[in-house]
Amino acid sequence: MKRIVVDPVSRIEGHLRVEVVIDEASGKVQDALSSGTAWRGIEVVCKDRDPRDLWAFAQRICGVCTTVHALASVRAVEDALGIEIPKNANYIRNIIFASQTVQDHLIHFYHLHGLDWVSPVEALKANPASAASLQNTILEKYSLPFSGPIEFETDAYPKDFPKATTVYYKEIQAKIKKIVDSGQLGIFSAHYWDHPDYAVLPPEVHLIAIAHYLNMLDRQKDLVLSHLIFGGKNPHPHYLVGGMSCSISMNDMNAPVNTERLAVVDTSVNLGITAVNYFYLPDLLAIGDIYAKAGLLDGGGLAKERVLGFGDLPDETYTGTSNGSYHKNLLLRSNGVVENFGQGVANAVYHPFEPKDILDPNVITESVEHSWYEGDADIHPWKGETKPKFTAPKEGTKTNWKYLDENGKYSWVKTPKWRGKMAEVGPLARYIIVYTKVKQGIMEPTWVEKMMVDQVDAVSKLLNLPPEKWMLSTLGRTLTRGLDAQVFAYVNKYFLEKLIKNIKSGDTTVANMVKWEPSSWPQEAQGVGLHEPPRGGLSHWVVIKNGKTANYQAVVPSTWNACPRDSKAGYGAYEMAMIDTKVKVPEKPLEILKVIHSFDPCLACATHVFNAEGKQIAVVNTDPFK
Amino acid sequence: MEKRNSLWDVFQKKNLSRRSFLKTCVAITGVLGLSPTMIPNVISAAEKRPLPPVIWLHGHECTGCDEAFIRSQSPLASDVILNMIALEDMEVIGAAAGEQLEHHAAEIMKKYAGQYLLLVEGAVPVGDNGIYCVVGGKTFEESLKEAAKGAAAVIAVGSCAAWGGIQAAKPNPTKSVAISDVISGKPLINIPGCPPIPEVLTGVVMHYALFGEIPPLDSKSRPKQFFGNRIHDTCYRRAFFDSGMFVEKFDDIGSKAGWCLYKVGCRGPEAYNSCGNMRWWNGLSYPIQSGAPCIACAANDFWDNDQFYQRLPNIPVPNTIASADKVGMVAAGAVTAGVVAHGIASAIQHKKHQEKEHKE
Repeated sequence: MKRIVVDPVSRIEGHLRVEVVIDEASGKVQDALSSGTAWRGIEVVCKDRDPRDLWAFAQRICGVCTTVHALASVRAVEDALGIEIPKNANYIRNIIFASQTVQDHLIHFYHLHGLDWVSPVEALKANPASAASLQNTILEKYSLPFSGPIEFETDAYPKDFPKATTVYYKEIQAKIKKIVDSGQLGIFSAHYWDHPDYAVLPPEVHLIAIAHYLNMLDRQKDLVLSHLIFGGKNPHPHYLVGGMSCSISMNDMNAPVNTERLAVVDTSVNLGITAVNYFYLPDLLAIGDIYAKAGLLDGGGLAKERVLGFGDLPDETYTGTSNGSYHKNLLLRSNGVVENFGQGVANAVYHPFEPKDILDPNVITESVEHSWYEGDADIHPWKGETKPKFTAPKEGTKTNWKYLDENGKYSWVKTPKWRGKMAEVGPLARYIIVYTKVKQGIMEPTWVEKMMVDQVDAVSKLLNLPPEKWMLSTLGRTLTRGLDAQVFAYVNKYFLEKLIKNIKSGDTTVANMVKWEPSSWPQEAQGVGLHEPPRGGLSHWVVIKNGKTANYQAVVPSTWNACPRDSKAGYGAYEMAMIDTKVKVPEKPLEILKVIHSFDPCLACATHVFNAEGKQIAVVNTDPFK
Repeated sequence: MEKRNSLWDVFQKKNLSRRSFLKTCVAITGVLGLSPTMIPNVISAAEKRPLPPVIWLHGHECTGCDEAFIRSQSPLASDVILNMIALEDMEVIGAAAGEQLEHHAAEIMKKYAGQYLLLVEGAVPVGDNGIYCVVGGKTFEESLKEAAKGAAAVIAVGSCAAWGGIQAAKPNPTKSVAISDVISGKPLINIPGCPPIPEVLTGVVMHYALFGEIPPLDSKSRPKQFFGNRIHDTCYRRAFFDSGMFVEKFDDIGSKAGWCLYKVGCRGPEAYNSCGNMRWWNGLSYPIQSGAPCIACAANDFWDNDQFYQRLPNIPVPNTIASADKVGMVAAGAVTAGVVAHGIASAIQHKKHQEKEHKE
């Protein structure tokens, strides 16, 4: 039995440590713990601020998930104050959201997760001519022919297209060789490049993927030009409670949004479609096909048992979230919980999940049994005791750890539960929920949902496996993220077309300023903002009193996934997925990195909730909706 | 890496042409804001100066600065990371993890003691012995001090490292501080911003790589070439300020026409940053261009200078007793504008001073 520590887990956002106990003979992981090792306290900082400023504070929870927390925040404040945003603002926010999803997934695949699958060292063994030929095969065999409704195709031809020539791959290979020979490995230094899993893919796939790693490193920024046009910068574009600040005018030379600005966005949106369709998806499916054929389909973990989502993409504007309006015209109705998908879609069990459930102390609770806080009861997040109780590790000292204590407290992340049970969130969860709801006839699919179901069926056909076999794995988590990127590439175009059409109809309004002044607000108000950002279901909660923020809470995707175990509910999603993974070389736990990366961890998001002073955060001991 | 290579060495090793090397030098000269007459100096520096190994540490941060870094257009992110610096330890994009990464970092620090450039993103939480940020089993505070010992120079990347940032905003639950409060005796460059403009970030790194010395700094350790002016000084909407044409309310007629955002809270007059001249992503936009008032995200304590939509203190305008509401009534020439700007700066200083006194 060998205990391996990976700290820091790199190629993620934030500070994550994992420890695994591996049976060296079988490679089986006997136990695994996941620990968030930093806490910043953003919600505490949010207290007493002007609710109109909150988006800026909340957005700084995470710079990888930029816009995500800002959007959830303005939605929460607008829900509290009863503000219905204009149509254009809804379209623009959806464009920012869709661009973010496409870019975030693409960066994750190539630049964070990619080096778990491909290696520059392996790429050196490739035959450039074979790589060129394979690139053609990949493009022909591994594309998914789905698209959203495009009325006005502006892209004359695919501007960015994989190069499939021998000379190109020779050049790339020569450059990789120079880097390796020089010993100046830089970002490629000190990794387990001799791990046997790097031999699963042929060298040509490594070469193609490394070439695209470089290519996409320089293209990713152009996928989020909408953030610059509508929000002024990226990371951290600017939002506005009541809509957006980027006024639209075709009559003024200096307008934030005019035809030229929309053209910039359109070019970027088109790039998203080509980057996903010609680079990301074919590369991903080619790698996935080889891994699936090799039978490397472990790491499913908690997703087999339970997944959770909130739903997103309001097709039109809505009057609020708490009143149920938000959920009435969503294009992505991934709201709900699905259990038992591991037994196939026919045997999966769907449970609705509605805004009122979030208030119900029997539905969502948090435990701190293994988190560095006092208390042992399962309590509703807004009633939570938040006294920190930092305890020593099992071996080492408080400021110099050897091994954390799996029997005691070991993480700054709390353990959220749905009806007393653990749940996984993320693109995989969204796909499981939508697939189940559509296949079981629970809902008639929107175009977004139909595309999702079609994608799952097409990949199942390609891999010749039923959905539950390939989806519930490390690979499945990564594949569904790629499918998600394709859907959102078209969602981007869809909402840009809606925006243009609405402007054409004469409506240029982007902000509803009726309730801008605090004097127009009720003395006390509370609201929730729901969102399905790249990493899964997110909710922000705000209580406003006398024009100030009395309480602010965020229940974040990575908290659901990265949480520590619980004696009643079992392991968290990261932990279960690691336990469900076989490790070939214990001191080079590539499979552990791979399965953790398949969640796209965001630890700054996960561990921001608690008050270090040991005081309750704001009014946490009262239900904000009372 | 046996010996440190100059940029020209690297180009030769990677079979890149002299022509492409020269083109890169010209591009760099532009990015650094140097005059074309400086091109020969840049070329000479790039030929001779060795590339510094770079270590990039993460403390209390959101990773937005890494994201900004890889958005750099000139130089391109891939060129910076693979050809221009030796990025030996970088958790966000580096392949290695855990023990192997920590071991490699320790080796680099030993081997290149006194030579490597240390980039630090994030604040340092010093409360309760630093337990609020533990990486590799050690507190960030300890790792930072250790890494700083052998650094040739330290760059504070972003407002968190430079000033303490959002986690240091009231009530600062983790007692987070700027890195300059924890390390001393090293040349320090502050590149504030939440996040900094990508090309400012890579520009400073390139300046160091090319000239082998830190760029000229102001009294707050910020490179003058990027933080020498306020956004207000170079803002394309400045003419509207001078003419008294203001956005009164979001999405009003002034918003559509792109008038000055001062009255809806714009911090441009106190924001030392390159948003006005360089803008983001090679001139594409910046918050003001998108109709959003600047929040002065590169300023010290900007988080506690809220509410963001409340305008800065009324500006005493020279020759009149009017406030900014009436600026339009006076002919605002260049001289007046300068005095007005000065007035704003004094007003801010005054307010800050008062707040400080109040706190004490």
